[in-house]
Amino acid sequence: MIIWGVFTLWPVISGFIISLHNWDPLRGSEFIGFDNYKYLFTSDRFWNAFGNTFEFALIMIPMTLILALLFAFYLYFSKGKARAFVESALFFPYLLNVSIVSLIWKWLFDPDFGLVTESLKVIGITNPPQFLNNPFWVIPAIALASSWWLMGYRMTIFRAALESQPVEIVEAATIDGANTRQIMFKILFPLIRPQFLFATVLTVISGFDVLGQVMIMTEGGPGRSSEVLALFLYREAFSYFRMGRAAAIGFILFVIIFIFTLIALKFMGKDVQQ
Amino acid sequence: MKKNKESKILDIIMIIFSIIWLIPVLWMIDTAIKPTHEIFTTPPKWIPEKFTLQHIKDAITNWPFSTWLLNSIIVSGVSTIFSLFLSILAAYSFSRIEWKGRDTVFIILLASMLIPWQINAVPLYFLMNNLNLLNKLIAVILPITAMPISVFLLRQFFIGLPSELEDAARIDGCNRLNILFRIIVPISGPALAALAIYMFIFSWNEYFWSLIALQRINKYTLPIGLNMLQGAYDIEYGLLMAAAFLASIPVMIVFALLRKQIIKGMSWSGVTK
Repeated sequence: MIIWGVFTLWPVISGFIISLHNWDPLRGSEFIGFDNYKYLFTSDRFWNAFGNTFEFALIMIPMTLILALLFAFYLYFSKGKARAFVESALFFPYLLNVSIVSLIWKWLFDPDFGLVTESLKVIGITNPPQFLNNPFWVIPAIALASSWWLMGYRMTIFRAALESQPVEIVEAATIDGANTRQIMFKILFPLIRPQFLFATVLTVISGFDVLGQVMIMTEGGPGRSSEVLALFLYREAFSYFRMGRAAAIGFILFVIIFIFTLIALKFMGKDVQQ
Repeated sequence: MKKNKESKILDIIMIIFSIIWLIPVLWMIDTAIKPTHEIFTTPPKWIPEKFTLQHIKDAITNWPFSTWLLNSIIVSGVSTIFSLFLSILAAYSFSRIEWKGRDTVFIILLASMLIPWQINAVPLYFLMNNLNLLNKLIAVILPITAMPISVFLLRQFFIGLPSELEDAARIDGCNRLNILFRIIVPISGPALAALAIYMFIFSWNEYFWSLIALQRINKYTLPIGLNMLQGAYDIEYGLLMAAAFLASIPVMIVFALLRKQIIKGMSWSGVTK
């Protein structure tokens, strides 16, 4: 408990305190109230990062969860030999670390020799966008790579949740004439809502927290069109050493994640809390 | 009969899809073993005319890969053991011992699960700086150890255990610690194994905080080392893919050996609720 308190709870509180200061490595810190927040809320760079983070999260979170759910249903219903292979293949990327994933996808999206770009040319798109150099495509491209990476874990959670439900429910529904789609979404999905909520919260966190992928694949570019809040925070803190402002960004991120978690709880969690 | 046919077709579609899903990984390996002039061709070639281990050799000789690998193993191994031990104690206390304010503390703990690294980074940096732990592996191990998720998962599991065993042991005169380590822990084997796998994978892939806390090249873990490599070689994809391949070999081997346990362990974390 003490260790937990020191390393998890204390940083949040002191983070908030730091965010009220103007912290300078040479002159020490000085209390400035909410000036860091005022600065951020009037700064274009902040709102740009804010928008990019939301764009990324709003693409990545649904894509990851929907794919994971559909694949989990496939694994649940399939009895064939393909099952083990499919589950392993789809799960495997989750075991790679963020640097490996980002390097691979940076290479796949390479504008001159990348496999994605070249494949698009093969299927007839003569002038494919340079995904990572294009302000419009850069965030969706990073979101795709992130979904590829994170999906497998959510899938296994859903698959295990489905399998822990009593089979009689599905049998009874089949006898009553329900088709597969009805069984999936009307019967099974409500039953695994707690796990879906758990996975949603996890994915919300990975969505709004995104840093590694962006840092390695684009460094926030082109220009600042993929600079997300976490990267902005990292730069403020460790490139410019404006710790107070960085802590303020961190606190804002926390509030965003907290609000989204509450929304998820409200929509799905009525019967989840214990 | 028709159903069978349909599900066969679906199986085939899914197998093809899975192979497509793995193309990024295969392409990484493919790039790593191709000579440079065959990497940069249009259209891309899957089967090179010549295989080469040159990129892999370059990556190993120019960069302290084995040190990074060792650091990663130390960080993940130690954090996993620490966090298992702590969460056994904490989860037992949260599930089986009545104390004042227990549930309030537990709710705060749950809420703190939502706090990502990014928010903690600045304050943690000060804290570690004050404790003089920056650039030491322990600076990464401690915060990972303190992650509340393992306490949470284990508590849910302990609550589900029948209390008769424990009552019987208490009548026989066992104290709490004895009960915990002689009775509860042994029957929780599978859950603990699953939790260990979960924690190990988590710490193996931890990136953000390590990037801040470890700034010396011989203290890097694998993800941080790779990150630096990519800064050093802008578009030398042969070398970069060789490095990425090297860094993923341990994972591939472990996954090949323990596939079932890993998938089971990971999925367990979602089912305990």
